[in-house]
Amino acid sequence: MKVSQLDKDGKVTEISICAECARARGFTEVEKLKANVAEIITELKNRIDEGDSRLICRTCGLSYAEFKKQGRLGCADCYVSFHDQLVPLIRRIHDAVQHVGRTASGGRKQAQQKMNVAKLREALSGAIQDEDYEKAAALRDQLRRTEEE
Amino acid sequence: MSPNAAVGKWLAANGPEADVVLSTRVRLARNVAEVPFTHRATETDHERTIEVARWALADSGYLDSGKFLSNEELAEPQGQYLIERHLASPDFVASKAKRGLYVSNDETTSLMVNEEDHLRFQVMASGLDFPEAFTAAAALDEKLERQLQYAFSGEFGFLTACPTNLGTGMRASVLAHLPALVITREIEKVLRGAMHIGLAVRGLYGEGSETKGNFFQISNQKTVGQTEWEIIETIADISRQVITYERKAREYLMKKLRVEVEDKVFRSLGLLKGARVLSSDEAINLIAGLRLGVALGIINEVNLEQVTRLMILVRPANLQAMLGEKLSAAERDERRATFVRETLVHQ
Repeated sequence: MKVSQLDKDGKVTEISICAECARARGFTEVEKLKANVAEIITELKNRIDEGDSRLICRTCGLSYAEFKKQGRLGCADCYVSFHDQLVPLIRRIHDAVQHVGRTASGGRKQAQQKMNVAKLREALSGAIQDEDYEKAAALRDQLRRTEEE
Repeated sequence: MSPNAAVGKWLAANGPEADVVLSTRVRLARNVAEVPFTHRATETDHERTIEVARWALADSGYLDSGKFLSNEELAEPQGQYLIERHLASPDFVASKAKRGLYVSNDETTSLMVNEEDHLRFQVMASGLDFPEAFTAAAALDEKLERQLQYAFSGEFGFLTACPTNLGTGMRASVLAHLPALVITREIEKVLRGAMHIGLAVRGLYGEGSETKGNFFQISNQKTVGQTEWEIIETIADISRQVITYERKAREYLMKKLRVEVEDKVFRSLGLLKGARVLSSDEAINLIAGLRLGVALGIINEVNLEQVTRLMILVRPANLQAMLGEKLSAAERDERRATFVRETLVHQ
């Protein structure tokens, strides 16, 4: 049989040899080699998938593998947890990574506080209507504390 | 027309370039800091987000000129009705999460709570009018932000559940009626040009919808790396070009194929005035033909606003809401024909 020999410099020489000698000298059948390459690729892919499922957002517990499957992140902190993985993806989608538009002013979290005040006021007037003065006094104190926050 | 037949102010057809452009829309996506995104949030989170959003709207005066619909009020047929009026997305209506929806009385502004992002709000304006739509959307954004803290990063901008909406969180779009470009087969070229510079072109009801009645929606796809005004300017520029091409195509048709155009327009009018059974799709296509006739001045007995109103009112859920009855498909087709006929004959 004829076999091709690939030396270290990438030069291919064809030599005639019998099958037994070829095996003894360590020649590999091309078909087998192809199967091996496929195996290696699958193995690499598995390792990447394994890495993706091990990469988990500390805040919400979403894994990068889950994100890849469903296309949605779990929480704002996912952008920190998966930062290095997301940057190339964001560049592919938007041709840019750095935001240049409007910025958030940092918010003032007044909503929660105002809402609490409104709820307490409502409860207070309810307690007064029910003539539950003990409860009303407690609510009044709580309202004062909340308003001072 | 029946007194219940009010439609959104953005359908008034009195904005700039109204002969070609129906409406302009600016949508912003925002998430509340420290709450998991909607699909990962608990029911308690959903309820809290709804409450915070409702509070922010009440405190900034928005509830004085609009209403807030609770999760229960969003069940069918209300959901379909809102989709048809472009006030809620199909995903929002189909979602299993607890939701809330704000709609201003004039239907120009709406805010979905717990769509894919916690807050998705939009402002629609008649014609090609980004200054109007964006200014109003930005004003609501600022009012909301006084009351709640957004998820934001200096690097990525406003953080969204899907990275495709990241950065500005803005989707700006123009809904244009381009029948002459379709007839002259120039549409492919024009739309390819828009897509080439990174814009998306879709049908009347957004993603995946068909281009029924030759209505096309042009919107941005990229949301990172450009300011809101840069994005808007790109879409406005392309829209102005498209408007010019469409008008030229209309001129060409009127010069070279006047009889054919008049035939198409008057056939549309004739069918709308005479039909005893009209499906929703057939009605939309005929009304689109009528719209072309009005825009070209071939038909004077109705105006653009009346035609645009009809487009919304003939949809299944809107038709039933207007008539105050639940109807089968066959009954709808009959009542739709009656409604359209009476509108066009007795206006």
